[in-house]
Amino acid sequence: MQLIPLYRFLRALPVAGVFALAFACDSSKTITPPRGSQPLATLGGGAVTERFSAELAVRGDIAYTTTWGNRSALGNAIKIWNVAGNSPELVDSVIVQNASTLGDIQVSDDGQLLIVATEFSSGSIVVYSLADPLKPQLLSRYTSALTDPGVHTAEVQRVDGKLYAFLCIDPRSGNPARLVIVDLSDPAAPTQVFSAVMGNPFVHDVYVRDGMLITALWDAGIKIWDIGGAGQGTVANPVAIGSIVTRGGEAHNVWWFHNQVTGEKRYVFVGQEGPGSVGTFSSGDIHVVDVSELSKPIEVAFYTLPGAGTHNFSVDEARGILYAAYYNGGVRAIDVTGDLSSCDAAAKSSDGRCDLGKMGRERGHGLGDVGPVYVWGVQYTGTNVYASDMLNGLWKLGVVAFPPD
Amino acid sequence: MNLSSIIERPPNRARSFYSIVVTGIMVALFAPHPLAAQSRIRDAVEIGAQAIGVVTRESPAIRGKDLTEGYLTQPAIMLTIAPWGETLALRTTVNFEGATIERGELNAGIAGEGYIDRRHPHMYLHELLLTSARRFGGSGVNGVSFTVGKGFAPFGTDDPMARPFEKYPINHHLAQILERAVAIGALRTGSWIFEAGMFNGDEPTGPGDTPNRKRYWDSWSGRATFVPWPQGEFQASYARVKSPENPTGGGVDQRKRSASARLEDVQHSGYALIEWARTDDYVGSARTFSFTSWLAETWARYDRINGALRLERTDRPDEARQVDEFRTPVPATDLSIAGRSRWTIITARLAADLLNTESLSLEPFAEVARARFVPTLRPSGFDPRQFYGADRIWSVSVGARLSFGMSHMRMGRYGVAAAAPAQMKMPGMHMPGM
Repeated sequence: MQLIPLYRFLRALPVAGVFALAFACDSSKTITPPRGSQPLATLGGGAVTERFSAELAVRGDIAYTTTWGNRSALGNAIKIWNVAGNSPELVDSVIVQNASTLGDIQVSDDGQLLIVATEFSSGSIVVYSLADPLKPQLLSRYTSALTDPGVHTAEVQRVDGKLYAFLCIDPRSGNPARLVIVDLSDPAAPTQVFSAVMGNPFVHDVYVRDGMLITALWDAGIKIWDIGGAGQGTVANPVAIGSIVTRGGEAHNVWWFHNQVTGEKRYVFVGQEGPGSVGTFSSGDIHVVDVSELSKPIEVAFYTLPGAGTHNFSVDEARGILYAAYYNGGVRAIDVTGDLSSCDAAAKSSDGRCDLGKMGRERGHGLGDVGPVYVWGVQYTGTNVYASDMLNGLWKLGVVAFPPD
Repeated sequence: MNLSSIIERPPNRARSFYSIVVTGIMVALFAPHPLAAQSRIRDAVEIGAQAIGVVTRESPAIRGKDLTEGYLTQPAIMLTIAPWGETLALRTTVNFEGATIERGELNAGIAGEGYIDRRHPHMYLHELLLTSARRFGGSGVNGVSFTVGKGFAPFGTDDPMARPFEKYPINHHLAQILERAVAIGALRTGSWIFEAGMFNGDEPTGPGDTPNRKRYWDSWSGRATFVPWPQGEFQASYARVKSPENPTGGGVDQRKRSASARLEDVQHSGYALIEWARTDDYVGSARTFSFTSWLAETWARYDRINGALRLERTDRPDEARQVDEFRTPVPATDLSIAGRSRWTIITARLAADLLNTESLSLEPFAEVARARFVPTLRPSGFDPRQFYGADRIWSVSVGARLSFGMSHMRMGRYGVAAAAPAQMKMPGMHMPGM
């Protein structure tokens, strides 16, 4: 065997080393601690340690949380909680077969149904009767070729008196993401009424109110559809009215704020979900879009939290407080009353939008004192705020303790 | 038969660098060569084939469970047709893993193309390329070439299928870019080889997938190789890959870097590779995640026995899994990952030539690997120790490789960028397992 002389090999090694050093560089991300607002009281927590928790749905003294991904067990469980006391008490669990993640969960407006979205694969929604809220009974599981490979979110809303589920379907190689709308009038036999490819590259979530549908289309921003509210479209035939690409795209979720004091319906809040790593960091801002003219939405403001990114919202519409799940940033409570498009120069960004943080509108923050959290969802119930935390389970918090200005 | 065989070209007169790059390709493509008419079919058509039968036991494979599985893996046929010598050559590799390992092959730590902890099957049409090369200068080494078709982008190191081990290193998707529609220009002058290529960024989504036409040429890479002596090779390469994991685009982009040193003795009985590779994920211009790999491997033969050792430390993205926990959704549903883990794997191999002729070889082998892993982001949405039920994974593989006409093949370079020029052809020498 004639090997290369050792000295020639050693002589060459620095060449490789120089290449490696020239190419290698790294920087680590830092997370800025929350500041500038009052802490929301942490009343208690209910632990889930064998699975990662996902979305939550609270009705009365009962809460439901879903689970996600792979911990020591698959994310295929629905957790049922008694939240009458300060600390949520785990009552029962329901395992959903043939699912590795349960993302969205929602109780219908009449409290009769519990709807859960499943991923991967194939995707479905599972419909339970809540005749006994502590013992959900399976009514049906809706799946079709169009719900494959997963239903990422399922928004359940009533339109013109009829209950529908709006399903955002994950993309799959060769099959782009799509929106599927299912009629839940007969919850034992849901039927599809609409389907369309949407999003760039995803349609991630929707918001339905007043006969209008707002879709979060990731890098395509948001689009507003008439599904009966403006007299042009229907659920089976949505008609696009307006759209906007919010700054940075990554439009993930939407809340159309109806101010219960003023009656104003001027603002849509859009959650941006940037890159993140579960448990460690996240990114993405809240974008405020003025929809005074639904056909000409304009982004007027934003809220950013350095080192963390937002996820789902819940709004106290009587007091004008937006509660936002902020993953590793816990829960943020933001004052959204008044004119969000007007601010002094110090609070205005270079692109002309108002920075709600610099305007001093963060009124509260939660879960900054309980160790690492990664908050997926929040729900304001009138007396409390509940937060589902992927790492720890379910938290019960107090609300913002003082009225906004 | 040797797939790297090249018919010697008579020297052209020297030209300037730029005129060679521009005109050389055109001339090579369209000028008939005087030797072409003399080529015999025997020289013009080369074929090789291989397959590996292997049984692998992993402990634990997943959630504390041991798994023992058998495969017919890396079954491939390679064909080169070069009736005009280097002037115009067709090269194709057909890979049948889509039929033989559809569920994937146990390979602790590996991730890519929707598989995790199992290596994904490669595409049926692994390579299909037309290459035209033109030599210049008196050495028969210098030259330019142009390659178009489906194959490897000019980036990183040789494909693991052409290296000593049956089990792939887990940095496969950090250190190679393969199965793309490529257009590659290459220049070799003296000890230097320069390659630049454009390709579609989207990764294959299955063995029968075809490159997405809308994505053609949206990504690029370049590789510079220094060959100070015939058996030594140093390369550095860089690539920008658009949305590899979302075929329709709009997903995370990647910027990839690689540097390596490769040594091989003249008799092809000893080999060593040291490799560094890194992939940075980008959303727009913002870097998000970085994954780094270091790898060193060596192989040596003594008489009929050969052995190899590989050390690897590679970062891996941990993603949400499907009900089949060896699979991940493709494309991902957003821009986040569950976590990132660092894998340190030591693999040893021992093999013997039971049958070793110029065209046919049968090589039984045994490989043992030990993998350790730690999360590099804490807290994490994926705790490998909790998930696997152990803090290390042992893997033992026993099998045999049967190959025909596949002696000393290398994969990932075309035309004049193939490191060994015509003079280096050594009939009868071959390196089983490579």
